[in-house]
This record gives sequence, structure tokens and C-alpha cells, in this order.
Amino acid sequence: MYVVVGWLDEFLWGALVVLQIFMVGMTMAVIWGLLGAAAKLSKIPVFSVLASVYTTVFRAVPELLVLLIFYFGSAITLTAIAKLINPDIQFVDIPPFWAGSFAISLIIGAYAAETFRGAFQGVDPGQIKAARSLGMSATHTFFYVRLPQMWRLALPGFGNHMLSMMKDTALISVIGVEEILYTAEIATSITMQPFTMYMVVAIIYLVFTTVIMAIIQVLEKTANRHLESV
Amino acid sequence: MEFDFALIVESVPKMATGIGITLQLLVLATIIGTALAVCTVLMRISKIPLLSWPAMVYIYIFRGTPMLVQIFLIYYGLSQFQAVRDSFFWIALRDPFWCAIIAFSVNVGAYTAEILRGGIQGVDEGQLRAATALGLSKSQRFIHITTPIAIRLALPAFGNETVSLLKSTALASTITMFDITGVARTIMAQTFAPYEIFISAAIVYLFIAWFIQIGVALAERRFSRHMQR
Repeated sequence: MYVVVGWLDEFLWGALVVLQIFMVGMTMAVIWGLLGAAAKLSKIPVFSVLASVYTTVFRAVPELLVLLIFYFGSAITLTAIAKLINPDIQFVDIPPFWAGSFAISLIIGAYAAETFRGAFQGVDPGQIKAARSLGMSATHTFFYVRLPQMWRLALPGFGNHMLSMMKDTALISVIGVEEILYTAEIATSITMQPFTMYMVVAIIYLVFTTVIMAIIQVLEKTANRHLESV
Repeated sequence: MEFDFALIVESVPKMATGIGITLQLLVLATIIGTALAVCTVLMRISKIPLLSWPAMVYIYIFRGTPMLVQIFLIYYGLSQFQAVRDSFFWIALRDPFWCAIIAFSVNVGAYTAEILRGGIQGVDEGQLRAATALGLSKSQRFIHITTPIAIRLALPAFGNETVSLLKSTALASTITMFDITGVARTIMAQTFAPYEIFISAAIVYLFIAWFIQIGVALAERRFSRHMQR
């Protein structure tokens, strides 16, 4: 096992990259999820149809394929545009970190949209009517009544999406982001100990997912604290 | 840059060989994984700690790590040990197909076990008490009352799980398998037309997912036929 010690700093940096992808991806996923849910609940047919297409496609196509489409697709599009401006340019791409985080956030966002939609519908209509009758504007009602109550109902599903997001970060090594799985591949090619190196990766992920599970528990407890009998 | 429709028409038949591999992975892993899940859930709901603990640890580990890491651990990792390479199992473990099957099956086992547990817990207690009152033994209750109701309750989640397995089979392309994604990546390397190739592959996956959903909907109808009038 002592061979791992020499690679610890690389694994640590890789773990930081994983956390960055997770944070960036999760933030974007919440935005896609809220927009998707709003569009699904919209009374304008164009929006609700578009949102249905989005959630259906991104929940049925393999994550790996979405990642490849976004990375290589953006590269070929950008290269074509760059060639129009300067014909000497050979290859331009979005940094794989951003292409990868964006692609994964769209997938998790599609799942989140369904969760948020269900949660919005689960908020008691009486609450909304009460808020309106108290003279709160539609915007106020949304931010002070609907959104906080929606969060509580969405939490169990949202927790699962956070776990999926964490595990999907492993895919980004395929397009060459230097995270822990990539580190393990490099380390294997030098030490010839694939099992040890991939085991380190598995343990790091298990730590991350365990922490996320603990966070979800705390959040759920906080969100439901008004239900506990004093 | 223009969108080459002819290339899509040309590459979809090439992906046909990949569809075979993808479906083999999907069906075999579902069968083996479901069998594993049934054993796991029986251990998990047992009151004997020696049975329930290993099941909990198994579920925790496989649900807590990315499948890609597990696949690499099995396919690349196990060859590190001379004992594994000398053993009888090496015939399977050096073949990417069987490594993928192993990785997918143990995952399906862990996830489906939790789905089945949810189904078993969802069975109405009144039904079980009624069965006891009618004189059914413990094992009779489990086989004739709990199991059919639990299956019906677990079916929608099981359908989602099967679609998510379909998506996971794309990971087999990272260990040199030529499933739909693997074939697409090969054609992509020759033509460098990512949109056309990968979108055709995505459409193939959409169709398979659609068939799975129809299948699950039919099964749900069958299992709840007593509620339709």
C-alpha cells in the first residue's frame, strides 16, 4: 500500500477537481431544474412541450454519450467559427472541465426538473390562497411561500440527485479532465498496481457520498423541524 | 460546418451490431442482478444481524461509488494479482464482456434490493393480519400475500432502474466493448462528425428506453388487473 503515499498529493488535487465539478455542476443543475419545472407547469404550450422534450431526452440518453456530444460537438462548432475568422487555426475547444460540468448539469437538471415540478404541485394550494388574501404579490408568494415549502418536499429526491451528480463526475475523466480517476490511470501506468490505485479512487468517492448523505439528513431534519412535537 | 444527414443514414446500420451487444448486457445483467437483489433483500430484512449487516454493507458500497470506477477495478484492477490470473475465473475476468456483466449485475443487485425493500415495506399490514386470521403460515404469507403486492408496488421504480441500467451499459465502451456507444466512438474517430454520429446513437437509446417503458407499463397493468373494472 505504501506506493499510494507517493501519489497522495496528486489524488488530493484530483479530489479538489471532483469537488469543483460537483459544486459548479450542482449549481447549474438547480438552475436547469427550476427553469424546467417552471416551464413544465407553464400554461404556454411551447414551454411545457419543450420542457417535456428536455426531461425525456436527457433522462434516456446515456450520460457518457451526452458528455461526448457536448465536448466534441462544442469543439467542432468552435473550430468552424474560429476558421471563419482566422483560417490558420487548427483546433479550438471549450475546456473539458466546463464542457463536462455543463453536460452533467443538464442531465441532473432534467431529473431535478421532475422533482421540483412534483414538489411545487405538492405545496398546499390553501397556503398560496392565504398568502394572496394577505395581500402578498405573486412574486412575494413565490419566494416566501411556494419556494421554501417546495424545498422541503423536494429534498429526498434532490438528495439522490446530489449523489448521482457526485458519481457522474467520474465520467469526466473520459474527456481528459485531470481528476482522481485520471490520476489513478497515470499512477497505474507507472506503478503497475491498478487495483490499489482504483481502490483509492473508490474510497475517495465513498467518503464524498457518505458526507453528502450526512448533509442530506441534516437538511431534512432542519426542513421538517416544525413537524416535530415540542 | 453542415449537418450531414446522409452520414446518419449510413451509420445507423453500422450501429446494429452494437445494439446486439447493448441488449445482451442489458438482459443478462437484469436477470443476474435481479436474482442477486432477491437474495440481498431477503438478507436485508432478516432480523439476524449476521445476515442483514453484510447486505447493508454491500448496498452501501455499490451505491456509494461510481460504476465506472467499479468497472475499472474489476477489468484493470484484478489483473494485479497473480492468484487471480492463475485461477479458473481468469477466463471470465480477462474478457471485458464478463467484467461488464459482473459490474452491472452487482449494481443492479444493490439498487433493486432497495427498491424491493420499499415494496415489501409498502404492503398494507391489514392484508397480512387478514392472512394470519385466515390461518396462513409465515412462509405462506410471504409467498402469497407479500410477494405479489411488493412486486406491484416496486414495478415503477424497477422500470426506472432498468432504463438507468441501459444508460450505464454505455460505460462498457470504456473497456473496449463495441456496444452502441463503442461503435459510435469508432465511427466518430474515423469521420470526426460528432453531432451526426452521437445523435444517431442517442436516438437508438431513446427507442430502447421507450420499449422498456412500454414493457413496464404493460407489466404494471397486468399486476393491477384486479383494480380495473
